[in-house]
Amino acid sequence: NSNQLSSVPLQILFYVNGIYYIFYFLATLAMIIYKSQVFSYPDEVLAPDLALLFIMAILEVPRLYLGSKGNLTEEEAPLGLSLVITVGSVILSAYFLVWQTYVLKADVIINAVLLFTYGLESVLKVIAIAAFI
Amino acid sequence: PPETHAAARERTRSGPAPVTDVAKLCVCDLLVAQCDVNCCCDPDCSAADFSLFTTCSVPIVTGDSHLCSQKAAIYSLDVEANPPERIFKLIDQVNPSVFCIYAANYKQALSFSSPEMPTSENFDQLLKQFGSASFSAEPDRWNVNTDAQNPSDANETYRYKYGVPIQTVDAFLRLPSPVVSSWCSDANPAGFLVNQATKCTRSVSVEKCGNIQAVSMLFYINSSILAVPKSSQMVNITVQSIVVQSLNGMRTLLNGSDVLRLPMILDELCINIVLGVSYHITYTDTGEIIEAAASFVLGAINKEALSVQQSFEISFTQVNTKPVPLSGNPGYVVGLPIRAGFRPQGYPFPVEILFAALNTNKYSQLTILQSTSNQDCLAAQGTRTPVLFGYNMISGCKLRITAAMKCQPLTQTLLDLLKGQSFPEYVASFGNSQAQDVLDWVPITHLHTSEQSDNDRIYNTFQSSCQIPVSLEIEVKWTKYGSLVNPQARIVNVTATITTATVKQLPSGRERTIPITSSVVFTDISSPAEPGYKAWPTIDVKLPFDFFFPFV
Repeated sequence: NSNQLSSVPLQILFYVNGIYYIFYFLATLAMIIYKSQVFSYPDEVLAPDLALLFIMAILEVPRLYLGSKGNLTEEEAPLGLSLVITVGSVILSAYFLVWQTYVLKADVIINAVLLFTYGLESVLKVIAIAAFI
Repeated sequence: PPETHAAARERTRSGPAPVTDVAKLCVCDLLVAQCDVNCCCDPDCSAADFSLFTTCSVPIVTGDSHLCSQKAAIYSLDVEANPPERIFKLIDQVNPSVFCIYAANYKQALSFSSPEMPTSENFDQLLKQFGSASFSAEPDRWNVNTDAQNPSDANETYRYKYGVPIQTVDAFLRLPSPVVSSWCSDANPAGFLVNQATKCTRSVSVEKCGNIQAVSMLFYINSSILAVPKSSQMVNITVQSIVVQSLNGMRTLLNGSDVLRLPMILDELCINIVLGVSYHITYTDTGEIIEAAASFVLGAINKEALSVQQSFEISFTQVNTKPVPLSGNPGYVVGLPIRAGFRPQGYPFPVEILFAALNTNKYSQLTILQSTSNQDCLAAQGTRTPVLFGYNMISGCKLRITAAMKCQPLTQTLLDLLKGQSFPEYVASFGNSQAQDVLDWVPITHLHTSEQSDNDRIYNTFQSSCQIPVSLEIEVKWTKYGSLVNPQARIVNVTATITTATVKQLPSGRERTIPITSSVVFTDISSPAEPGYKAWPTIDVKLPFDFFFPFV
């Protein structure tokens, strides 16, 4: 099996990331609904927050798919594309951590975990690409 | 003018700045510069005051409790110490919940927004947005027990108020007026204190001469007016005068006016047709009508006439006053003449203090010189025009000075020309100021200025000089008075400034032309509206009569 270049930790991380992201998406959506009921959350600031959350969810799907496919087929191109999309996801996660309208302590926690996961993933992807080339 | 609007905006007061420092915020500090009892955060309290408190009514002042970490000021009394002292601690309070706000990027979320201050520009829009029905504060209306209401109603006397239709025995006092077209409609009631004048067309024919009710005098003086609404006191309408108008338009006043002249056919004409009625109602200041009189204009129609135009008018006079045309009620209306008058000799002795507010006499009004086509001042016939409220006017003429003119008579002539024969001393501050209300009249301030500079004055003291008045400027300062919804114009100050100029003695044969001007300027000195706050509603609680039944 020494010919196998696919990174097992990376694959595990993709799997865990997928599950965690579903939890993250539902939690953030629930907290936005909670905030709109308890605090003053007019439409002009609520709309951007919701839009960015959905954009992040839409980006996550191809990101994980391409990364997983690239890792398993040992191709650099999908993995590289996944890395590029990860950059976008990192920026969006940073938005939810710092620039959101109301940042609750729970928001800080789950976004920090997500950013850590992305960071670890990026490192493993770079290593995998280096191995594939 | 735009600059006054900007200045008004600056002068508009805004609300007090919000206090956000918890150490300085004190909800129980109600008395200014005095110590509030049991208020531990009151800065006006000294240590001696604190030692007398029993508890702290406000133990903690914090910011928004949703924040994860916020400053809190804690006040407590240390009763163990002798004397008791107040303990003040400023701590950081931590919200343990995981859903506390760590950061908020939306600044308006954590504080109340300042409400918009009403100014004259945005008042209408704010009224539309926030104005709504308000509750009446009269306790009579809250009487749920309807049985108890009836006795109080029987004792209450009704009075006529402005605009209330004048009631007669059968219906209302009618003032026929055109409704949609120019045909007369008899359904227009006359309102109390509403001076009206209407004209409408009535269809007539000679055949139906005696049958048409509305052209007969009886129709208008038939029913008597009720002195107060819903009462049985009646006031008969008397015939004050009758004017007969012939077919060619000539009018004759009849001598005996107590005879009722009904329409009848005479020589193929129908005579005694009512062409005009003018009601004069006398009322007291308590809203009661005590007298009613009607003046008629009767005319005749011939066979070809199919319609006739009738004109109606009603006017109200308060009892014991002379009817004076109002220039506004109460504030001046733009375009109506300013009411002015004199103080009679013998004031301030408490005899009949009556100003001669003789608007009917043209020469006692506030007037200015009227420019004529012939611009020579000395040849002017002295035509003057009344000063109308709100209309800035300027007029003038040219004065030709010859060597032969003497100074003193010339000065006097020019003063007469500028001021007129009887320049009034007082001006009414409201359009409806009564002559007997002395405080409602504003005195006219007279100022004299001279046109020349200091150098000329020093130079001219060595020469024989003549100071003649060359201009009169009347400045009327007025302000908006009353509520912002319906502001009334009120005259505050009237200043008449006479400017004199030096005229040097001319060598013989020479002549000089000097322009003489007079002007009236109206200046609005209204201060910006201040929002008013309604008084707190009072609680009107009365125990029932037999509350303490067994004991009382």
